Amino acid sequence: MSVIEPPLLELDNLRVDFHTPTGIVQAVRGLSFTLGRERLGIVGESGSGKSMTGRAILDLIPPPGLVMADRMTYRGRDLLTMDKRERRKLRGRHISMVMQDPKFSLNPVRTVGDQIAEAYRVHHKASAREAKERSLAMLEQVQIREPARVYELYPHEVSGGMGQRVMIAMMLIAEPDILIADEPTSALDVTVQLQILKILDDLVSQRGMGLIFISHDLHLVQSFCDRVIVMYGGKAMETLPAAELADEAARARRHPYTLGLLGCLPDLDHPKAELATLTRDPAWLA
Amino acid sequence: MTEHPAIRVDKLNVSFGDSHVVKDLSFTVASGESYGIVGESGSGKSTVLRVLSGLNRDWSGTVEIAGQAQPKVRDKAFYRAVQMVFQDPYGSLHPKKTVDDALAEPLAIHGIDDAEKRIARAMSEVGLPSSFRFRYPHQLSGGQRQRVAIARALVLEPAILLLDEPTSALDVSIQAEVLNLLQALRRERKLTYILVSHDLAVVAHMCQRLLVMQFGQGVEEMSAGTLAARTPRTDYARQLLTASEGFRRG
Repeated sequence: MSVIEPPLLELDNLRVDFHTPTGIVQAVRGLSFTLGRERLGIVGESGSGKSMTGRAILDLIPPPGLVMADRMTYRGRDLLTMDKRERRKLRGRHISMVMQDPKFSLNPVRTVGDQIAEAYRVHHKASAREAKERSLAMLEQVQIREPARVYELYPHEVSGGMGQRVMIAMMLIAEPDILIADEPTSALDVTVQLQILKILDDLVSQRGMGLIFISHDLHLVQSFCDRVIVMYGGKAMETLPAAELADEAARARRHPYTLGLLGCLPDLDHPKAELATLTRDPAWLA
Repeated sequence: MTEHPAIRVDKLNVSFGDSHVVKDLSFTVASGESYGIVGESGSGKSTVLRVLSGLNRDWSGTVEIAGQAQPKVRDKAFYRAVQMVFQDPYGSLHPKKTVDDALAEPLAIHGIDDAEKRIARAMSEVGLPSSFRFRYPHQLSGGQRQRVAIARALVLEPAILLLDEPTSALDVSIQAEVLNLLQALRRERKLTYILVSHDLAVVAHMCQRLLVMQFGQGVEEMSAGTLAARTPRTDYARQLLTASEGFRRG
């Protein structure tokens, strides 16, 4: 008899509010989605609430932010009623996050290897030696050529691309089920960006991880993800299979905001004298 | 008499200590042309702009603007002819100066007396309402700040604008507005542009010709048409093009 596995993540009507002296700012207003073992993209412009969604899942919304939802579960476990200690145990061990810029996310006064090993020992009972071995193996998995040498380097001694690989190694060493990647490649050159995506892609397919890929880059999300949520003003404008973003035949079904975003991009194949600009309809947020 | 190109760079070399960041670079930009420079980080593309704008004074080779060889330290007349717009609209405006202060300063430096008229004109050209004139940068959005930076460059009525990733810090919808603005300004004022960017689609949209740089060298100069037809000669340029098309599985 097979047991039906609950989805990795279920969100129903997620809201994130910030109560400020000048009024309530609603960063996320009623977002719902389910994450399976897939690559889910969240795209939107700045202020659309895409990063806040990632942070809300990890319970990393700073005060005065308030997270509310009708339902928020991780593999069937209710995250809303879970206490802070339990949430913290999940964080890093089962749900992890890779940030945009390795320069600001790594501790500048400790070697990168040390930091990866620490990430392992926080979540697993292991000797220093075992943690080091694990870390070296992890560095190799993210395609760092001389893991033993890189292990001893400080963050300022590694390039942006290598720093991002170190971050990914650190996040994956605990073997999480869900990885939230918030603009993981925006600070990197295009060729390096593709290498990092390849690593993430392999990890999703080999480990059956669920990946939430937050980005402002429509082309990238379209070519990398399985499904895409297009966000604007804290709301999902639509959810669609990523391949349909480029599909001319599916244009009629697209939300005007999605079409607007696509239309503003300069395109090598369709040169135009002037780029379309976006007109925003207040009704989208109604 | 033949007309001089707006910009001519010949055998430009720049070193920072032991690292040789621009190597024997040569190119010319015709008057009224829009010329792109693309490359990955560390390719030396921004350094070239900093040499052209006079911000970097440690270089060797020849830099000519409108046929005149430029010394390491530029004179005032140079800055009336050549202005620069920087990448980060959050970092390039003084946080304690209003839009009006930012626009009035270059005019005061150059002793131009119709400041009032010029500021009003520059603001209307970049599409900023006059009510924004006494705002501070923190009261403006990223796109509005970049418009102020462009207005600041335009207020001296230069012939050449150096653009260092002018839209890479902006959302795509705002990028479209700023690029349209730059296109329209170039048409109306017959400006010459050098646009540095890592985004090939933006360069193809804005420029007639472009130079691909790698490790401080010019790898290939091509027309925007060659880029759109995906027929560059060199491997590196092709590689850059493929990488910019997005992710490919398998």
